[in-house]
Amino acid sequence: MLSDLELATRVAGSDDQAAFQALVERHQAAIRGFLRRLVAGDHGTADDLAQETFLLAYRKLPTWKASGSLSSWLHTIAYRQFLQFRRKHQRQQVMAEPPDAGFDPGQSMDAEILLPRLMRLVSAEQRACLTLAYAGGMSHPEIVAVTGLPLGTVKSHISRGKQKMQQWLKNNDHSFQTAGTSPASEARHA
Amino acid sequence: MPDPIENHELDQLLGFHEHLPADDFTLNVMQRVQRERRRRRVILTICGLLGGAFGLVGAVLLSEPIARLFMGLPLIGTVQAVLVVVAAAALYVWMMDEDFTLKA
Repeated sequence: MLSDLELATRVAGSDDQAAFQALVERHQAAIRGFLRRLVAGDHGTADDLAQETFLLAYRKLPTWKASGSLSSWLHTIAYRQFLQFRRKHQRQQVMAEPPDAGFDPGQSMDAEILLPRLMRLVSAEQRACLTLAYAGGMSHPEIVAVTGLPLGTVKSHISRGKQKMQQWLKNNDHSFQTAGTSPASEARHA
Repeated sequence: MPDPIENHELDQLLGFHEHLPADDFTLNVMQRVQRERRRRRVILTICGLLGGAFGLVGAVLLSEPIARLFMGLPLIGTVQAVLVVVAAAALYVWMMDEDFTLKA
C-alpha cells in the first residue's frame, strides 16, 4: 500500500486522480467524524464541510509540506472550514437544543446519539481539542499545530471539556455503549 | 477528584469511531474534483486563446517595423533577439507548468 506522501506526490506531480481518490477514501472517516463532532451532530453540514475540505486539499496539495502528517494537514483545513462556516452562520444561529431536552436518563444510549449531546455542552474549541485528542489520537503539540491555540489553552480545553461532560454524565446517572473505540488515543491520553 | 472508572468510560466514549462508509462521499468529492479540473481547463483555454489573439494582432501590427529593424541588424543582434524570445518562452512554460500538466 502506498504511503500518504507517495500518493500526494502523484497528485501534485501528475494530477493522478486515482491517487487522490485513495487519499479521500483513507482519510474521509476521520475528517467527517471530526466535523460531525464540531457541528455537534449536524451530519449534512459536516459532510458538506468535509467535501469542501477535500476540494481545498486537492487545490493546495502541491503546497503541502511533508514535514507534518497529511492527516494533521487535512484536520487543519477542516478546522478552518468549520471556523469560517461558524463565522458566516453566527447571525442566523439559533440556540442549540439544551443537552437535557428529551433525554431519559434511565435509558442506555448509543454513543452516536450521546456524543452530539455531550459535544453541545462544550465550546467549539473544546470540541475540537477533545476530538483531536481522543478520536484522532493526536498529541498535544499536534493539536496546537491544527488549531493554532497555545499549548496551555489546549490542555485546559481538554480538561475543562471533560469535566463538564463528566458532571453531566454524573448528574444524569448515565450508562452508554460504544461499538468501537480508539485504544491508541486511550493509551496516549491515559 | 473525578471518578477514575467514569473517566475511563468517558475516554472510551470520546474515542468512539462512527462507521462512515466511503462510497457515496468519495464519489461526490471526485465529481467535484472533475468539475474543478474542467473549470480550470476552460479558464486556461480561454485565457490562452485571448493571449494568442492579442499576440497575433500585436505581431501583425509590429511586423513591418520589426522587419525593418531586422534588416538593418547585424547577425549578432538577431541572435540576441532570438535568445530573448527563447528565454521569455521558457519563463512562460516554467510558470504555467502545473497547468500544462493538468491539460495533458
